[in-house]
Amino acid sequence: MKKQSFLAPLALVLSLTTTSVASAQTLTMGVRGGPESMDPHYSALGPHAEAAKHIFDTLVWSGTDLQIEPGLATSWSPVDEDTWEFKLRKGVKFHDGSDFDAEDVKFSIERIPVVSGPTTTTIYVRRVAGVEVIDPHTIHIHTDGQAATLPNDFIRLFIVSSEAAADYSTPETAAEGFNSGAATIGTGPYKYVSWEPKGDLVLERNDDYWRGKGSWEKVVRKEIPNDSSRLAALKAGQVDVINYVSSVDYLALENDANIDAVKGDSVYIMNLQLDQREKTPLVRALDGTELAQNPLRDLRVRQAIDHAIDRQTMVDIVLEGLGRPANQMMPPGFFGSSENIPMPEYNPAKAKQLLADAGYGDGFEVDLYCTADRLPGDGAICQGLGQMFTQVGIKTNVNAISKTVYFPAQARLEYSMFMNGWGTLTGEASYTLGGLAHSNNPDVKLGAYNRIEYKNDDVDRLLQTGARMMDADQRRATYEEAMEKVMADKAYISIVQLQTVWGAKAGSVEFTPRYDEDTLAFFIKSAN
Amino acid sequence: MLGFIIQRFLQAIGVMAVMSLIVFCGVYAIGNPIDIVIPPEATQDLRAEVIRRLGLDRPLYEQYFIFLVNLLKGDLGRSFVYNIPVLELIGGRLPATLELVLISVVSASIIGVSLGIYAGYRPESWTAKTIMAASVLGFSVPSFWVGLILILTFAVNLGWLPAGGRGATIDIWGVAWSFPTLDGLSHIILPAINLALFKLAMMIRLARAGTREIMLTDTIKFARAAGLSEITILRQHLLKLISIPIITVFGLELGSTLAFAVVTETIFSWPGVGKLIIDSIAVLDRPVMVAYLILVAFLFVTINFVIDLIFALIDPRVRRGAAS
Amino acid sequence: MTRQSTPFSRFWNEFRENKIALVALSVVVLLALLALFASFVSPQNPYDLANLSLMDSRRAPGFVGTGGYTHWLGTDPQGRDLLSAIFYGLRISIQIGLAAGFVSLSFGAALGILAAYSGGRVENLIMRLVDLQLSFPAILLALVIVALLGQGKVQLISALVAAQYAYFARTAYGAAKAERGKDYIEAAVATPLGSRLVILKHLLPNCTPPLIVVATVQIANSISLEATLSFLGLGLPVTEPSLGMLISNGFPYMMSGRYWISVYPGVALIILIVAINIVGDQVRDQFNPRLRK
Repeated sequence: MKKQSFLAPLALVLSLTTTSVASAQTLTMGVRGGPESMDPHYSALGPHAEAAKHIFDTLVWSGTDLQIEPGLATSWSPVDEDTWEFKLRKGVKFHDGSDFDAEDVKFSIERIPVVSGPTTTTIYVRRVAGVEVIDPHTIHIHTDGQAATLPNDFIRLFIVSSEAAADYSTPETAAEGFNSGAATIGTGPYKYVSWEPKGDLVLERNDDYWRGKGSWEKVVRKEIPNDSSRLAALKAGQVDVINYVSSVDYLALENDANIDAVKGDSVYIMNLQLDQREKTPLVRALDGTELAQNPLRDLRVRQAIDHAIDRQTMVDIVLEGLGRPANQMMPPGFFGSSENIPMPEYNPAKAKQLLADAGYGDGFEVDLYCTADRLPGDGAICQGLGQMFTQVGIKTNVNAISKTVYFPAQARLEYSMFMNGWGTLTGEASYTLGGLAHSNNPDVKLGAYNRIEYKNDDVDRLLQTGARMMDADQRRATYEEAMEKVMADKAYISIVQLQTVWGAKAGSVEFTPRYDEDTLAFFIKSAN
Repeated sequence: MLGFIIQRFLQAIGVMAVMSLIVFCGVYAIGNPIDIVIPPEATQDLRAEVIRRLGLDRPLYEQYFIFLVNLLKGDLGRSFVYNIPVLELIGGRLPATLELVLISVVSASIIGVSLGIYAGYRPESWTAKTIMAASVLGFSVPSFWVGLILILTFAVNLGWLPAGGRGATIDIWGVAWSFPTLDGLSHIILPAINLALFKLAMMIRLARAGTREIMLTDTIKFARAAGLSEITILRQHLLKLISIPIITVFGLELGSTLAFAVVTETIFSWPGVGKLIIDSIAVLDRPVMVAYLILVAFLFVTINFVIDLIFALIDPRVRRGAAS
Repeated sequence: MTRQSTPFSRFWNEFRENKIALVALSVVVLLALLALFASFVSPQNPYDLANLSLMDSRRAPGFVGTGGYTHWLGTDPQGRDLLSAIFYGLRISIQIGLAAGFVSLSFGAALGILAAYSGGRVENLIMRLVDLQLSFPAILLALVIVALLGQGKVQLISALVAAQYAYFARTAYGAAKAERGKDYIEAAVATPLGSRLVILKHLLPNCTPPLIVVATVQIANSISLEATLSFLGLGLPVTEPSLGMLISNGFPYMMSGRYWISVYPGVALIILIVAINIVGDQVRDQFNPRLRK
């Protein structure tokens, strides 16, 4: 939105000739979700971090395939059991010209617990017990016990300016300070110009960025949550690039010569989770009466459920080809993904046989819950599952609901069978297995996301020893073994790995898709 | 007359008080407000801390009292999601909605009343019947459907108009308006049509019904008998008599159009208050919900009050008889 | 032989003269019958997951599916036969419209008549509340209630009732008040006959015509409102889609040429609402004494 002065008839004439189409120097992006504020420490949600990455840098950088690379820290190594040393990049300047140094890192880390909002960002610094500045470009992080994966945690540690944000680091002052631009001083590729909540984020290029100059003088990120509207905006030329093209539209785009569709594998995998408690609320006999035991605790029942899923049809029909069948909770090639896990076989006859063996030859009834508005195809996959399960005798009532209702209810253990996507954003298994597969044990800070009371002592042991191994190869092997055990237990059943599609004006830009689905203006290069 | 005004004013205050109570209790007492604000894996201490910080640990009536005090100071609280003052959040987006609603309502009224009067004046004519048929469609078809068809036809297939968003703005009296620019105008046409359709249909039917009734009254018969020309009759009698119900409905419909803007704004990605509300309701951002409902109630009460005043000025019966 | 001339037959004769209204009425009746007997006329039960096959998903009209029968209107993303889904969806829409209408009517009329009969402070209090409700936009109220109470038929109907009872209350109040003032009511109240009888025998019949008019409009409104709520994602749960939800599910496909998923349910919805409104129009015109000159 341009603001012009009232007494400018010339502007009226100009507005006839200028449309919202990007000139060669401006990139207009249509994004599905935007930030909740300009304070990068406020929210841990994906869209928020994605926007923040334009203005601020992180200490450690997560590359295109989510493997860690130097960011504002050039190297790191453990000094002793509970201390890491980070060497910081020299010659980096903030947007206001001040120098980046260790004080800014210390300030940022200490600021997070104070200002983080509802989706707390403290998880990125949860292992930090203290920060010690050694010299302007060296910093020591003291952790609570051995923290082998500390650098991975820092891929979302945004560095703000200790001078600019000094007065804006309490919950009452942070939002105003950053949203007004006073504290929004980062080291990132673009400088803050303006932002409207749920509206446009306007940025201009930082010509002194340490990675180099970006392609675009100006970047506008427009928030357009509705998939069809976003695509319509692209087709109408109002935006140059959009993210999250739905599978529905993707096939049509392949025939559209005016639009390039860029497809990439996503880190998100849809996992079905089966409650392992002795009594589970939403499973019952077909006539409505209570069952003597929770059928989901029987391995044969879980295997039956696994065999009932036709993963290929899910990909081909429900996702219209935008996905891959998945056999474990992380994409192949990640740190801890095992190559020894077979792809489960679709065999409804075997499923019925297993159910009969387990004593449920007549089947039973279950309520299946999932989100309808978080990841592409989530509601549709759920409905497909409902069909597949019903056809082997497990009558399924599908409830695809809003994520804001789903996640809190799931956390309160209200569900018996539920499915949501999980993205291994740190690129390695301790994040995923540590969060989901370890039994819920606050003392060791593991299993926080284990909502099915799944407990396998071998897995627990492997995960705890793995977290202490500083040797990467040893750690990898340990995690792979843990993953194999978890997937064999079938309490977590991975269904499909998603693919993400971006749309752009034909021949106008080029970029490499990222696993974490971030759309970053700096890495989008002009093709002209 | 003064007594009437005071009486109405007091009633308006009473209504606002009741509304605020109902809205507040309704929104805060149902479900658990804290669920949205705290991440599910938060520790007990974090939970307790946030509950204390937001004042949710106090009994409901105390919360309501604090809320009222703040309300009178002009502080409507902070959004749970954005952590900025609600008034700022809503205020920033209000001009966009106001612009859309005003343009829709004014055009719908002018066009609708004219068409309706014609349809009522010559009810048997072919034109009138077409107008009436179209009006039934106008308020039967759900507005989201019309919006989708408009986008599909004009934006995607024909490419004449943009598919959504608001155009370039110009500052007048410190507020940003988009309709004075050509770009802004092209962005506002489709949503305005979408929003206006329902009201247009209403106005047509109202004007037609009113015209038919009035044309059959004795007043008109006498005027004709007295030899006045049809045009004079229309101007002097019909318009005056018809204005009362039309003004009443106009006022009420203004509010309901504001409400329906919610759907239009969502479909056309119009950056107004309506879209904000849908999102806030979907994520249960309670302060924003409460603030918006109270503001809407305030708007209605004000509109009703103003209409009552206008009637008091126009209708001598009211002036004379209601000062009890 | 004299023809029996009840008020109903007089009403009906006049109704019949307007051909358009007659057509509209037959459409409404037809749709209602289709909805009532949906399970008999539909080739498929679209709500039973055992019947569906993903292999049938998103097929164009005329496709012969895995069940062996032709999908005359195509299929939706889950493999549901669209013709069947429309019949079942009509059933839900009509059910909700009627339920919401009936409850609003009963509750609203009772309230309005009570206010008119009691007079004094009770009357003032009730009518002030009703006026308040009337000016408050139905859609906002419905949105908030559904958001807070969650999804489901009962919650949805409650939201619709809350948004609409005021129309009935206001109408009943107006009619009852007019009647109440008449002398014969005063006389009846004075006798030991009891107030209930007075209300039933005298007030109620006079309120009925305007209530019927409001009812037809409100039923159409309920159906439209439910569709809008479903479209916004706050209506009924996914596995039993109403017409609004079918349209909403199908909209993303419009851009890629698979128009039938949204268009046919949309057409069905519009036909239903328009037909009800036309009938309502005619009924209103006939009941309006000021037009009968």
